[in-house]
Amino acid sequence: MDRLIGTRLARFLIPAVFLALMLALWEFAVAAGWLRRLLFPPPSRLIGSAIELASVGVPVGNTLLYNASVTLARILAGFIGALVLAIPLGLLIGSRPLLDRATQPIVGFCRSVATLSLLPLALVWFGIGETSKIFLIGYGCFWVMLSNVIAAVRLVDPVLLNAARTMDIPEHRLFMRVVLPATLPRIAAGARIALGVGFMVIVGAEMIGTVTGLGALIMEARTFYRTDITMIGMLAIGILGLVLTSALARLETRLMPWLPRGNAEAG
Amino acid sequence: MEVANLGMNDRPMRSGAGPAMLAEPMPDAANGGTDPIIRIAGVGKRFASDTQGSEPVLDAIDLTIRDNEFVVLLGRSGCGKTTLLNIVAGLEKATSGSVLVANRPVTGPGGGKGMVFQQNALFPWLTAARNVMFAAQSRGQSKAEAAALAAELLRLVGLDAVGDKYPSELSGGMQQRVAIARALALDPAILLMDEPFGALDELTRNEMQDELLRVWQVRRKTVLFVTHSIWEALMLADRIVVLAPRPGRIVLERSVDQPRPRSRTNPGLLALHEAIWQALQAR
Repeated sequence: MDRLIGTRLARFLIPAVFLALMLALWEFAVAAGWLRRLLFPPPSRLIGSAIELASVGVPVGNTLLYNASVTLARILAGFIGALVLAIPLGLLIGSRPLLDRATQPIVGFCRSVATLSLLPLALVWFGIGETSKIFLIGYGCFWVMLSNVIAAVRLVDPVLLNAARTMDIPEHRLFMRVVLPATLPRIAAGARIALGVGFMVIVGAEMIGTVTGLGALIMEARTFYRTDITMIGMLAIGILGLVLTSALARLETRLMPWLPRGNAEAG
Repeated sequence: MEVANLGMNDRPMRSGAGPAMLAEPMPDAANGGTDPIIRIAGVGKRFASDTQGSEPVLDAIDLTIRDNEFVVLLGRSGCGKTTLLNIVAGLEKATSGSVLVANRPVTGPGGGKGMVFQQNALFPWLTAARNVMFAAQSRGQSKAEAAALAAELLRLVGLDAVGDKYPSELSGGMQQRVAIARALALDPAILLMDEPFGALDELTRNEMQDELLRVWQVRRKTVLFVTHSIWEALMLADRIVVLAPRPGRIVLERSVDQPRPRSRTNPGLLALHEAIWQALQAR
């Protein structure tokens, strides 16, 4: 048995068998009347709902794929907007110690504010349209990203700068030649964390003022006591997050082939 | 009149410049007549954070190093040996005194002063060959020239097959070989080495010492090498300079006349080991 655990087949098979067992137990618990069907729809019911959601849609026309694509578009808009602003700003702040010192409390504070607590403000500022949702995702991603980029610059090993200096690289070119490539891995790690934040924010952001998106779907389902739809929605968000995160990790290993293998998956 | 004269004679003596220098014995005359390439004169160093009245990191260090000489700075942690090396490299500023390399005062890093650091100073985003090329291109070589030089230098340090590997894929010993090749790619007048083998296991360390001597015999350079290992100093050096801490000062200078490769059972080296051991006890 111990010898089996290490093999590749076992690595896939063991969690799969365990998952199947848990699902079977759930199905059985509902059938036996230990769990109420309305509150804990069994896996067999969920499969049916998933097919309904994917083909007809709830409300009719809003298919699962459509909702997922709306959610994905919002996340990407907020996430990419945050990166575009936070990376240059973080590089600037990180390489100016005075600026770093001056902004530290602000960055720390804004990062700590629970993004969804800004929801009422966002609604007042930007209305109930797309802008307020993208703003909330962008806000959450931005501060996480900014503090990671600042730290990335601060943590560049001074020995690398000194090594470049012994090679007659002038001070004004150290940034492009050394600082930027040296910070890339930490910036990428920051992006992965920020994306996770985006996924946490999106559901809340979609709960008000819209009928599209996976967050809206989950909320709508509650009004009709469709716990099965809520669960499918959760599942869809989870899968979307997993796909996006692993795409980012793959991009990372492609862009930074020098990183030790497994680095991207671990962080 | 008399008072004025005294003052005139006094000043150049203290600053170590002017007519008084002519009266100094030429240090190179005793050592085969080659030119001094590094002149460290009265170098002292205090950090801004030092408390009033504490001893300086370095106090009035005088050291002259001949062209192609292999000098080892030896001392315990905190004796200021790395600080002295950094001052020669131009990475730190001395509080007092002066350093001349090839008769020009050191004002900053670069300008033909190659350096090998303790560890992890290779650019992790560049392959071994690209790291070496970075140095070659920094002194104006074309990409093709730099690639050829990198291949040649990697072969010299015994790494012909790993040019396209990243530093993270190399062992500690291999990384330091690349670092040596990179420093040589600058075609430096002097090579400064800051405990380059300090992070390696003892066997690898011994191999690297042999390797360094082999490379040094092919590409003659002036080497200033910092270590806290007496045996490393004995294996490598033409001359060993022992530093003691607080204030950082030279407490012993010995030439090592044994031919290389040297054996640890050599009675001359054993006697020298004892003398250095005694000197290192100084506080």
